[in-house]
Amino acid sequence: MKRALLGAAVAGAVLLPFLPLALWAFSQRWFYPQLLPEQWGLRAWRYVLGTAGPQMTEALVQSVLVAAAVAVLSVAGGIPAGRLLGLYHFRGKDLLSIVLMLPIIVPPLCVAMGLHLWLLRLEMTATFAGVVLVHLSACLPYAVFVMWGVFSNYNLDFEDQARSLGASALDVVGRVMLPLIFPGIVVAALFAFLLSWSQYLSTLIIGGGKIITLPILLFALMGSGDRPVAAAVSIVFVIPALAALAVSARYLGSRRVLGVW
Amino acid sequence: MGILQLDDLTIAYGAETVIRGLHLEVAEGELVSLLGPSGAGKTSVLKAVAGLLAPAGGDIRIDGRSVRGLPPEKRSAVMVFQKPLLFPFMNVAQNIGFGLRMLAVAPAEARERIRDIIALTRLTGLAGRRPHEISGGQQQRVALARALVLKPSILLLDEPLSSLDANLRQQMRELIQDIQAETRVSTLLVTHDQSEALMLSHRIGLLLDGRLRQVGTPHDLFHRPADRAVAEFFGGCNFLTGRLRGGLFDCELGSFPAPGVMANGHRLTATIRPEDILVGGDSGHPIPGRVRKTSFEGATTRLWVDCGAVQLVVLTPRSDLTPGQPIHLRLPAEKIRVFPPE
Repeated sequence: MKRALLGAAVAGAVLLPFLPLALWAFSQRWFYPQLLPEQWGLRAWRYVLGTAGPQMTEALVQSVLVAAAVAVLSVAGGIPAGRLLGLYHFRGKDLLSIVLMLPIIVPPLCVAMGLHLWLLRLEMTATFAGVVLVHLSACLPYAVFVMWGVFSNYNLDFEDQARSLGASALDVVGRVMLPLIFPGIVVAALFAFLLSWSQYLSTLIIGGGKIITLPILLFALMGSGDRPVAAAVSIVFVIPALAALAVSARYLGSRRVLGVW
Repeated sequence: MGILQLDDLTIAYGAETVIRGLHLEVAEGELVSLLGPSGAGKTSVLKAVAGLLAPAGGDIRIDGRSVRGLPPEKRSAVMVFQKPLLFPFMNVAQNIGFGLRMLAVAPAEARERIRDIIALTRLTGLAGRRPHEISGGQQQRVALARALVLKPSILLLDEPLSSLDANLRQQMRELIQDIQAETRVSTLLVTHDQSEALMLSHRIGLLLDGRLRQVGTPHDLFHRPADRAVAEFFGGCNFLTGRLRGGLFDCELGSFPAPGVMANGHRLTATIRPEDILVGGDSGHPIPGRVRKTSFEGATTRLWVDCGAVQLVVLTPRSDLTPGQPIHLRLPAEKIRVFPPE
């Protein structure tokens, strides 16, 4: 009973902010001071899925590709960095952790503007790789911090035990380390994916209007002042993020990270 | 085959040497314990044999061949750690089969070997369980099975009983004894628990301060300690000093024959175990004393007895003695161990 109540409260807190969005997206006419739309309709959805359909699909695919690439690269960089920081002590560790945190501390606008100059010289502006790189500057630190935490609780004896049982160094990575930290990998990938998914400013600056992700399209449509359409686009924008969260939810705060020792 | 030879093995962490010049051999089918207080570097010896730690000096030979420079997976010595370290993402059978998969053993043969070892380690019916679904004792048995299934030349056990409670410890001890007798796998076991070492081992090596002080059968170490430190480790607490005159050890409590010790006139130390001292009436119990303190320990009572300037600790089945009471003791000559001069 208590649990059910708690569950309902949590679900309500998460879903309630989406209620106005849903109302707007399905309204035809809705003026102040009416509590509910005067006239319901699917005009916004016909526009989003019909007229602007090809544009939306393209932006959706672009966003998924960018976020997936960022997630994969963040995890690939986060594992070795997290292992180093979580398991070993060395000189300059504090300095390294500050450097890693810098992109999070410094306002994203500064980072994007600064990197813009560099990417211009490298002729990487308005390219997929350029956008992925600038997203990484924001997402990689989070992945490193997640993996740092995972490796702080990691028992190296598992690897010694595997070696003694006949596993080569490569086997240990693939068959012992990766499965042991898998829940952490999922969480780090989720963080990186969601952060990349919601990037607007950096995509706009580096992408230069050539790389159109969902947030870029969303802002363009919202600027037009058509609220039902903006609401419908927002819902399309939120659904993949919620899906990613749902898929990885069972690994969040999971005790299976710890194993048996 | 299964012969392990440690030759002048030295292990150091940075500037600190934890093991110096260790010589030890485990013969075919033998269970040898390395016994010593916690932090004596015993686990380091196992890791060095397993290949998980590079020794600072000396040589390790398995079946006559030096394994120096061989990576752990190429050595036919398998280590079982103090904690079970079962892979949480695998079930019991998969855990046991881990090493076989690494060796690319054919699935049919692997299944058969896993089934046999599950029966041997009394894990029948648990093959499909996850590590967190079985008890601590069962986890420890899976860890043991995971090593045994590989039929290693040398099995290395690191305090296999220390993470278990008293009840399970006894069961596990018997299981290790039975399995070792059945498979005759040469085993090097590390422990800080003397009773564990005495019960399980064919031979014991006592490691104190990074040096091997004595190697021998449990009986040898317990009843014929090589020196005072060894006797103290096994609970010896009565030490008598005296001189050797004409084959007799002369001390304040009398003269006792000391066969085999050739050191006339030297100051020597002798010991007698507290349970070997007899308490009785005057006749035949020539040493008078007075009870200073008693401590009831169940089957026996521990007495601290003042005998003139000498104090003796006595373990006796009698529980009727009280502090201040005068008593008479006898030290059977055959139970007195005179240490050879250093």
